Amino acid sequence: MLPSEAKEHCVEDADRLMARVRNRDAAAFEALYDAYHRLVYGVALRMLGDVSAAEDVTQAVFLKIWSSPNLFASGNFSGWVVRMTRNRALDVLRSKSRAHVELSDQQPDDDPIEERAFASLDAAQVRMALKQLPAEQRELIELGFFSGVTHEELARRTGVPLGTVKTRIRSGLRRLRTTLEGTVTAV
Amino acid sequence: MNAHETMLDDVAAYALGVLPPAEARAVAAHLQTCEECREEYRLLRPAVTAVGISAEACFDAATAADSVAPPGPLLKKRIMRNIRPNVAEMRAVRPIVWPAYAVAAACLVVALVSGIINISLNSQVHRLENESAQMAAVTRQLRLSNTQMRTALADLTAPDSQRYAVANGEVVKHANRLYIAMNALPPPPKGKVYQAWTLRNGATQMSPSVTFVPNPGGVAVVPLPVNASQIAAVAVSVEPEGGSKQPTSKPTFVLKFT
Repeated sequence: MLPSEAKEHCVEDADRLMARVRNRDAAAFEALYDAYHRLVYGVALRMLGDVSAAEDVTQAVFLKIWSSPNLFASGNFSGWVVRMTRNRALDVLRSKSRAHVELSDQQPDDDPIEERAFASLDAAQVRMALKQLPAEQRELIELGFFSGVTHEELARRTGVPLGTVKTRIRSGLRRLRTTLEGTVTAV
Repeated sequence: MNAHETMLDDVAAYALGVLPPAEARAVAAHLQTCEECREEYRLLRPAVTAVGISAEACFDAATAADSVAPPGPLLKKRIMRNIRPNVAEMRAVRPIVWPAYAVAAACLVVALVSGIINISLNSQVHRLENESAQMAAVTRQLRLSNTQMRTALADLTAPDSQRYAVANGEVVKHANRLYIAMNALPPPPKGKVYQAWTLRNGATQMSPSVTFVPNPGGVAVVPLPVNASQIAAVAVSVEPEGGSKQPTSKPTFVLKFT
């Protein structure tokens, strides 16, 4: 099975697995872990840069999935897990540095706005799409997502005016979406 | 750039999650009232999620240049161990779903218990049948005894009966039936009983007959299982319990019919 096929298979299974997790099915939870721990751990590691801290976040995220499975209603499970992971990692960063204090609680775990069409994307496809962005856009988007700093901090670190930072973020995200739509359609 | 274009840039920053709380709350409130900004947010949000997906870890350094160190092998065990008590707790309140082997074992136990119960019931039925048969035999015996008693009473009181006085009682003969009727017979020694003996006509040796003991009043009415017309003599002796084939003691009486 190709990675993309496996990913689609996992996405299709996520709803069913979560339904079983709601019924306290430990085997379904284990299957969910096997399918998504790379994503959770990868996001946490990218944000924290520390294996031990990333493991702690991974554990916290999966235990949250187990204890509160109803937080996920339906839709893009990957998106839900990514948001939850980012928020937990931000908690860790906030505890380490005042620079991240201001970002707390602005990304709700249960944000329902998500498109299922992108749920089948795998990491390699997204990385390829990111590489197609202008460097100044990609840098701001990746730094903004994974470092957990404010737009003002992004402006300070890159030496770009605040207004330009936000415009580049918007342009980059729009272009990324367009590229990914082409990827999804091609699949 | 007009004010709304600026707001659309703020929506992008909000979607990426880089706004301070106060600005984030302002954008969130604006999204509730502005369809165009809401549509922008709906458009950009999946792209932000995709950025997160790009970080999915690849642990195979041989095939991927951007592979990362995998989590420790104990992470999964640690997580699964953490949910186990929860599972056990839930199992305690949820309907129990038995695994197949447990169901099979339960069926086997039920079968064994049923078998044992069946055997026990069969044994009980068998015992009750035996008891019933014994009761029927006793009933028949009682009916027979009752008949014999009535017959004996009639014979003993019949005016035409033949009475022969012996020690401690008499011997009565009536209609070919023969009775030993004791009224002052002392109880036999411990381990001993009284035994009747009969001598058939033409015989030279007494034949063993029934054994008996008198009641506490010394009374014993003993019908002898013989045809009285064929008996030449009757005797009684004290013998060991169970009787003897030959008299082992001096007879308490010997009656010869002439």
